[in-house]
Amino acid sequence: MRRDAAIPWLLLAPALAITTVLVLVPAAQTIWMSLHDVVLFRPRSAPFVGLANYAKALGDPVFWAGLLTSVIWVVVSVGLQFALGLSAALLLNRHFAWRGVARALIVVPWALPSVIIGLIWTWMLDFNLGLINELGLRLGLLDHPVAWLSQPGTAFAAVILAVVWQGFPFFAVTLLAGLQAIPGELYEAASLDGAGGFSKFRHVTLPGIAGVMTTALLLRMIWVANSLDLILVMTGGGPGTATQTLPLHAFLTAWSGGNYGQGSALAVLLTLLLLGVVIAYLVRSRRT
Amino acid sequence: MKTKRLKLLFGTELPVVAILMFALVPWGWMVLSSLRPEADLTRSPLQLLPDTLTLANHIELLARTSFAQNLRDSVIVAAGAVALGLLLSLPAAYAFSRFRFVGRNTLMVQFLAINMFPVVMLILPLFVLLRQFGLLDTYFALIAGHATFTLPFAIWLMTSYVDGIPVDLDHAAAIDGATRWQVMRLVILPLTLPGLVAVGIYLFIASWNEYLFALMLAGRNVRTVTVALQSFIGENQIQWGLLMAGGTLVAMPATILFLLTQGRLVGGLTGGAVKG
Amino acid sequence: MTIARRTVLAGATAALAAAPLAAPRAQKAVTIRWWYHFDDPKASPDALVAAFEKQNPGIKVQAESIPWGGGGDYDTRLYTALIAGNGPDAAMVKFQNMSRLMEMEALAPLDKYIDAWGAKADISDDLWKLHRAPDGKRYYLPLQYVVLYLYLRQDWFAEKKLALPTTFESFLTAAKALTTTDRWGFGLRGGSGGHDFWATFVLGGGASLTKGGLVSAPALAANTWFIDLHRTHHVTPPSAPTDGFLQTVNNMKAGRTAMTIHHIGSANDMVAALGDTITAIPVPRGPQGGGWTTYGDGSSAVFAASANPEAAWKWIAFLSTGEANAIFAKASAQLPVTTSSLKTWDAQPRRFIEASAASLPIAQVLPSTTQTADFTRTVWPQTTQKALLGQITPDEMMKTFDKLYFG
Repeated sequence: MRRDAAIPWLLLAPALAITTVLVLVPAAQTIWMSLHDVVLFRPRSAPFVGLANYAKALGDPVFWAGLLTSVIWVVVSVGLQFALGLSAALLLNRHFAWRGVARALIVVPWALPSVIIGLIWTWMLDFNLGLINELGLRLGLLDHPVAWLSQPGTAFAAVILAVVWQGFPFFAVTLLAGLQAIPGELYEAASLDGAGGFSKFRHVTLPGIAGVMTTALLLRMIWVANSLDLILVMTGGGPGTATQTLPLHAFLTAWSGGNYGQGSALAVLLTLLLLGVVIAYLVRSRRT
Repeated sequence: MKTKRLKLLFGTELPVVAILMFALVPWGWMVLSSLRPEADLTRSPLQLLPDTLTLANHIELLARTSFAQNLRDSVIVAAGAVALGLLLSLPAAYAFSRFRFVGRNTLMVQFLAINMFPVVMLILPLFVLLRQFGLLDTYFALIAGHATFTLPFAIWLMTSYVDGIPVDLDHAAAIDGATRWQVMRLVILPLTLPGLVAVGIYLFIASWNEYLFALMLAGRNVRTVTVALQSFIGENQIQWGLLMAGGTLVAMPATILFLLTQGRLVGGLTGGAVKG
Repeated sequence: MTIARRTVLAGATAALAAAPLAAPRAQKAVTIRWWYHFDDPKASPDALVAAFEKQNPGIKVQAESIPWGGGGDYDTRLYTALIAGNGPDAAMVKFQNMSRLMEMEALAPLDKYIDAWGAKADISDDLWKLHRAPDGKRYYLPLQYVVLYLYLRQDWFAEKKLALPTTFESFLTAAKALTTTDRWGFGLRGGSGGHDFWATFVLGGGASLTKGGLVSAPALAANTWFIDLHRTHHVTPPSAPTDGFLQTVNNMKAGRTAMTIHHIGSANDMVAALGDTITAIPVPRGPQGGGWTTYGDGSSAVFAASANPEAAWKWIAFLSTGEANAIFAKASAQLPVTTSSLKTWDAQPRRFIEASAASLPIAQVLPSTTQTADFTRTVWPQTTQKALLGQITPDEMMKTFDKLYFG
């Protein structure tokens, strides 16, 4: 197996090469920027400030509020996406005549750019002209129109709804592919042993897709934690700072505010936080 | 037999319809809006069904703006990202799945760490780099840019699919005299078809919806649909009709792609492969 | 409107191109890159470019349309390109960019060109004054503009026999009278861009952006009055805290609000939806007679890194001259800066043009500083939304602004 030792590295070489050049180098630059006072519009003066940017970030109550918002955002929206996506995957794995069309149509929400999704949901939730208020009133579910995006609680629920709508097809497709690897004999054997539907799910399906499930959850969690497109378009972080997650805060500081030093520090903090969570998640799932 | 049909209807088909309705009603509302005159959209109270249907928005979008070319540009970039992504991630997944080597775990986590980095931070250095090589505003720039942020996820996803193929199959083939490369090509590759489809769709959609790179690294010769759609949002006006028409069309390529490839998502590929 | 507009554009440009050409000098052909954005994706500067190139045989103009994307995208693209050394020779810019561009030392001063410019008298002194940079030099050439005014439903005013609001007091009276169960008197904009509304009632009502000027007694009173529109008098829709440009305009078009603030850029749209029932007047003035409305600038600038500043100047000067300026303003649905064009301007119904002109005496801009950039983008919306929702008091809101500007 001695010669074999080189093989994985050969296989990984192209992927490693691209990511090093295109990602690691800029990432290193970001870390550099976080230790300096870099403002986009003053490119010539960037004094070293050590950990000052980090201290400022951690001392800012907006940071901690943003962290809490991010946690709720990730846990609730990924949980809901997963539940809905898994249900869809299980259903689309069964045999019915129009299965192909159903599978194709399920990706529509996922295939739309965030700008369109944000606009469409903002408009459906519009106070005066929105579909949701109109249907709610007509169906008797609402007494009077609700200003969904103008109140902190409902605004948060609204962006979660939009991102769940956008993201559940990812789980549907990914888990559906994972279901294909479970050999049919395992289900047959379970049936012969007298197992019912739910038991088969617990003892055949779940273990069969455990790996794919873990990975998909992990990836989606990272994606949602870092995403800010939808929130930016729908609420801009508002009302007030009710929907301002940490990445959005970093974005508004650096990208819009031009304070790349501060923004970089926030980005690095975010990455470290996520890294911690991910490693904990991986260690735990390896144990089970 | 009747009960089986009813069971299928209520146990499977109706729930699927329910989920599809959730998925399609907002998009359907957009399609409907694109087929009606813009003035309808600011009528209060809201009128659900239109009095008149019109194709004006779609005609204007395709004939009077560059949207058709933008769709083409997006398809080219996404196809490139899929090809590059699959080409790079499958070998990497095979390496991570079938080998245990020093640094494996660190490398895997490092790939993930790359994706935890806000993409926004990477734009400026990438811009400078591509400019130095004169590659700005080319298909290559966007394909390379998209590959960087999709590759880590693609590798992880693909690894989990390769993990799903029993190692016994590798051993059986090795016993039959196959080399590592032959195992990869003749055993692993066919069995990862569902995985390839899923990762391929993921790569396509991730590239399709990407905006920041497309805005910053291209824009004139290569203009994707995401950039085009944003240009309909102006200072003092929003071209609502064009946006709705654009939104209707923009979901189509990915949907068609999945329609064509979902046939590969059939189970039982590994069934009976390891017997005796 | 689109077809008519295009015919006008074509006809006017043809006339322009047929104008007697200046004696061409022997020059090497230079290409200048110019960045712009038009709201209407069908509007194109191609005809103007052709006319200019005909008049200036040595210069080629490469016009590139950059998506506005709420303003953030255009600005970001511009700054990044300038920093990376890949910026255009000239571009459309706004006051909100000025402080950043000056910090980057990216602008070429235009004084020497302007002083020698034949058409400079066709732009009013008021406009020249507004466009001067804080260091006294002139970097921005006026290109087009809008002034914010007050839209109102004159049919509802007539129905209730209300006087058109020229003071804050009459404004509140009218707003209250016009608010019913499904209608509100005033479409307040609490979302991004709403600082213009705030400025009208608070900066125009006794506050000023000077040290202590935001927390003085009249300032706090004016701000509390403004917040009370939503919290006490309920003359604004419940969605006001997060309403942006789209919502305030749509609410007006849909007949759900009686008044709102915007500018001539939306006038034709409004008329298409509401016909003669909609009109505009200058915004109401404060108790001391002072007033504030926002001047929405559209300017051209030449960048310091340009290899052909003189050619770039010629292009932007062309756009700000007489007929070309009129054609340009029509394409972007704003007002031309040239006095000659404004006299015969008819792109929108006359009453909106007059309201804009009548608003010029109180038209002002926030200072072009980095604090203003933060203010308009994040600090104002976030803080005001909290005040409108009752999470903080109006006084706390003003203290936050004071802290931002004056530390």
